[in-house]
Amino acid sequence: MQNVVERVLNLLIYLLESPVPVTSNDVRNTVHGYADQTDEAFHRMFERDKQVLRRIGVPIKLEALDPWEIDEGYTVDPEEYAIGDPGLTKEERVALSVAARLVRLGGTEAGVGAVIKLGGLEQGAGIEPLAADLGEGADTLGELFGAIAERRRVEFVYRGHVRPVEPYGIAHRRGHWYLVGNSPDGERMYRVDRISELVVDERRGAFDKPKGFDIKAVIDAQPWETGADPVIKATVRFDEAVAWWAARSLGVDEPGGELTADVDVANRDAFIGWVLSFGESAEVLAPEQLRLAVADRVVATLGQVS
Amino acid sequence: MTSQRTVSRISRILALIPYVLERSTVNVDEVMERFGYTEAQLTRDLDTIFVCGLPGYGPGDLMEAYMDEDEVVIDAAEFFGKAPRLTPAEALGLLAAGMTVIASGEASPALESGVRKLAKAVMPDADASLAVDVIDDSRNVGVLRDAAADERVVHITYRSVAKEETTERDIEPWSVFATLGRWYVLGHCRLVGDQRTFRIDRIKELKVLEEGFDRPANVPEPGVGYVPQTGDIVCVIDLSPAAKWVLEYYPVEVLSEDSGRTRIRFHSPDTEVPARLLLRLGTDARLIEGDEVRARVTDMGETLLSKYR
Repeated sequence: MQNVVERVLNLLIYLLESPVPVTSNDVRNTVHGYADQTDEAFHRMFERDKQVLRRIGVPIKLEALDPWEIDEGYTVDPEEYAIGDPGLTKEERVALSVAARLVRLGGTEAGVGAVIKLGGLEQGAGIEPLAADLGEGADTLGELFGAIAERRRVEFVYRGHVRPVEPYGIAHRRGHWYLVGNSPDGERMYRVDRISELVVDERRGAFDKPKGFDIKAVIDAQPWETGADPVIKATVRFDEAVAWWAARSLGVDEPGGELTADVDVANRDAFIGWVLSFGESAEVLAPEQLRLAVADRVVATLGQVS
Repeated sequence: MTSQRTVSRISRILALIPYVLERSTVNVDEVMERFGYTEAQLTRDLDTIFVCGLPGYGPGDLMEAYMDEDEVVIDAAEFFGKAPRLTPAEALGLLAAGMTVIASGEASPALESGVRKLAKAVMPDADASLAVDVIDDSRNVGVLRDAAADERVVHITYRSVAKEETTERDIEPWSVFATLGRWYVLGHCRLVGDQRTFRIDRIKELKVLEEGFDRPANVPEPGVGYVPQTGDIVCVIDLSPAAKWVLEYYPVEVLSEDSGRTRIRFHSPDTEVPARLLLRLGTDARLIEGDEVRARVTDMGETLLSKYR
């Protein structure tokens, strides 16, 4: 690893400092660490080192060296290389440093890599009795975020089908990461851990997000609020023992005693499931067709247990 | 193979150099704290920087890097005047961390403005594209976090997840954490005389008491999940593909699996949770074994039908 670290640093300095793009032969003959290799070994090393630089975030570009585009060379533009200054105050740096260490993503501290690049960890005050785990982080998550920020189209395999998607946003909700984007069938939500074979298109700014798109509004919806059913208004009564608990899910004030609430339902199956999860402590009062559907579900369940 | 360790090590070197260059010298302890170095790691990285530089690699071409008493000195490295820009994964990690702490309801204004500035810098035309929803409908996360920090006993009215019953108890909160999209408090429960984890959204009411407690020197790693116990109610259920989400929300044992169905064993302290789950799932689940659960579902179903018919 020691040799790799030295060679990659030397390569980066060469690419940053060279006034014109350099060919792989230039690299081989100039940068310390590549000499005395067979052709095959050199190419393997060079590919791997470029990969390391890209994973660090170094934008390596391949440019034509002549107007006929016969030869191509590598270059790193110092301005593109450099991190931008987000203009953080001392207090903001401290707050971000503390947050970076409290939250885990994919088994590691989620924000520490970024904080190091932004000038290192500020020492926060005392211990924080707070921690959070945002579940599995995958390379996919970072790639999707990059595609969203640069408005690039993506394509991936999901439940056995190839999906072309214009990615609008990602969100963490109830323990999972979701991608929201525009597919040929309209706006859809995909669970990120079920996405495989992701390909991000080269072109930036390839589509426009709908005006006013807000991932939070998409993600905050309860399961019965998003569906293809015509919206109906349902009235439900909850016993005192569970009323406060139901009120929190419905986003209404917590009642002192029992709760009767009107709910807009766009997904009847999801709504019936939710009401039945309260057992005998909840009852749909209206409309009658929904009461019949609840009764049907109960009858069906009785058939499944006998 | 390029290991993540190689990438992280070079990334840290490329952040260290501009930080020291800008100040010409920095105290060794500060460098170690700020960049998370041990002394041996720092020495090794400075030695590495010292042998790298411009092609030619003669004395005038190499960077200078060394420790002078308790100062770190780096020079002749102008090409590394700035750290490399953030990768999307790094930016996402820090933004998500900030948003999670904000979701705890007690974030400082500095964190909110810091996250806003960072989001603007990394995705200028992609605002409102990232959300971290760790639900705290109760607004109690901040109160419990403060109680844990101040080592104060808290009286709670709690609706148990495992038993669907409401109890009152005094707890000594050790830490507050989020996992699987929900907030939990870990601590000593005086009612059971043992360590317990509580879902914060299931705390109906709470009151921070005057009484204090001593937090144990080593607070255990937070974790959730039901630990099966003797005397548990056990049942076996077949799930259809549409009901497979159950595997992610309940601590179940998968007995067998094929394309059509998943057979699970479900442990719980009473019949209430599996009975309600079965009602919720309807034809997407089938009870295979478990007479107590069968009796409870039948009873619950008949009570419900008497209301609906």
